Amino acid sequence: MAASVTGLLKPWTPRVLLVRWSRYNPYYLEPEPRKEVYHIPETELTPEQKEERELKSVRPIKAATNSVTSSVFNDPVLSKFVNMMMKDGDKIIAKGIITQTLENMKRKQVEKYHKAPEVKKAEIECNPYVIFHQALENCKPVIGLASIQKGGKFYQVPIPLTDNRRRFLAMKWMITECRDNKHRRTLMYEKLSQELLAAFSKEGNVVKRKHELHKMAESNRAYAHYRWW
Amino acid sequence: MLLLSTYFLFSPERRTANMAASGGRTVGSFLWKCGNCCFNFNTVSSNLTRQVLSRQLCVSAVLHRKNLAAAGPEKFSEEFIKKQVEEFNIGKRHLANMMGEDPETFTQGDINRSIAYLFPSGLFDKKAKPLMKHPDEVFPKQRAVQWGADGRPFHFLFYTGKQSYYSLMHDTFTKALAVEKHQDRLRGKDLFTQDAKQISLVGSRWLLKEELEELLVETISEHDYARFIQLMERLLSLPYCSVEEDFVQRYRRQLEIQSSKQQVQPLQYDQHGVAYSTGDGRRKTAMGTVLLRDSGSGSISINGTNYVHYFPVLQDRQAGALRLAISRAMLSFLSEGQVETMRQAGLLTPDPRIKERKKPGQEGARRKFTWKKR
Repeated sequence: MAASVTGLLKPWTPRVLLVRWSRYNPYYLEPEPRKEVYHIPETELTPEQKEERELKSVRPIKAATNSVTSSVFNDPVLSKFVNMMMKDGDKIIAKGIITQTLENMKRKQVEKYHKAPEVKKAEIECNPYVIFHQALENCKPVIGLASIQKGGKFYQVPIPLTDNRRRFLAMKWMITECRDNKHRRTLMYEKLSQELLAAFSKEGNVVKRKHELHKMAESNRAYAHYRWW
Repeated sequence: MLLLSTYFLFSPERRTANMAASGGRTVGSFLWKCGNCCFNFNTVSSNLTRQVLSRQLCVSAVLHRKNLAAAGPEKFSEEFIKKQVEEFNIGKRHLANMMGEDPETFTQGDINRSIAYLFPSGLFDKKAKPLMKHPDEVFPKQRAVQWGADGRPFHFLFYTGKQSYYSLMHDTFTKALAVEKHQDRLRGKDLFTQDAKQISLVGSRWLLKEELEELLVETISEHDYARFIQLMERLLSLPYCSVEEDFVQRYRRQLEIQSSKQQVQPLQYDQHGVAYSTGDGRRKTAMGTVLLRDSGSGSISINGTNYVHYFPVLQDRQAGALRLAISRAMLSFLSEGQVETMRQAGLLTPDPRIKERKKPGQEGARRKFTWKKR
């Protein structure tokens, strides 16, 4: 039947291979692994969500990847960080380092908590995940620079950054900082936990780098009109 | 038996001398409109999708016909087709009698089965096998003669060459004007509201170009099709377009509900009355089968050993195969809503990703050879 599109739904290799292509048809939608989305009762859905649900019921869905789970411990930001730290596909080692980092951070914070006077105890954050997210937030630059050629010269022009780019830069700086600027004998998780705790309290080299980028952008304000998008 | 020989028609396409290159299930150069239409309702096509998505849509008889509006005079006259229809119906009854079944409730599926039984064919080509179908499906739709005895054409747009298409465009625009007039009248009476009831577009798609051609019995170009969709979208952008809902729905087709495609095996019971079900899954080259028992202790054993000992490392591609197998085994225990939730969480789709092939002139799938200046 001409009306059925079953022929389109099989995995396929496109005839003309572009650089970015996937085994799925663009007809497929992304899966939703979080459990709480499915527990919302019918009455509390907004019209957009209702429409999305109806759309999902008629479209095929891609398979969920191995790294994505429905459990409460699944953190997409943390997964991204683990992937960025990974070398040569060795995710076990990267995940091990991150786990050790979180444990280390927790130990340090708990030690600080027990040593602090009663008044200060409430302010000390012990949850390593909260610290990680907040540290990453503090490292994210707000504005970035792009190299734009005008009249034979290259100028550093301040440009707005997308959320993904900001997150990527924060993670990249954190990882390069921990790999390069450490003593030969310090282990990665040790250095990483130090940097994350520093970033949480808005100190440390990574937030310094972010501030330098902001200053450069501010000083190059005059070239902002070179941006055409 | 004598009458039956005339009813077995081989599909007319076999007789045409030049078969179109886009025959069969090859990846041809038809553009994939469905993705364009459903992906984003407001734009008709995007260049990237045109480049990437070259896929033949379906192998219906429509695609093999070069000219729907017959280039020459009518090949089959109305009386001829009527006669064929009568002969088909009589032949159907004869066939039902022959097979010993009730002629009143003899469906097309029964006809196909009977033909396959009476005339077993060892041929591989589907188009060479004997078939008995309703003449409307066999003979291409064609247009009656478009002009009268005096030579004057009936339709006022005959000399445009695409009279049905242009008259459809005119109709659509007339509807749009009617909607705008309705809106103006409401505005005059102060009853105009922005949030009027909108036509529900979710779960349906625009007619494909081929389907539109079939409807109009006329060949149209992609540009024409694009303009038509644009005009319909414009009609839909008006707040009170629900006035012309019937007209719009005529050019939309419902999409099938995906969850109905899941095959849920019924529960099996072993000798103690405990319900169990099996499922199998594959990922790359790993294969796994799972046996799920109801009301158990929750222990999981893989090949005899405990799963903790078998999978010391959290990630393994065997785990992907097992996940699919477990999801499929669970289906028989779950309700419809839960099955749909699992499908939307991406647990029931087999992962199609495979190792990308190595290309000639490159070292691997993506890696090129080291570039040497000299």
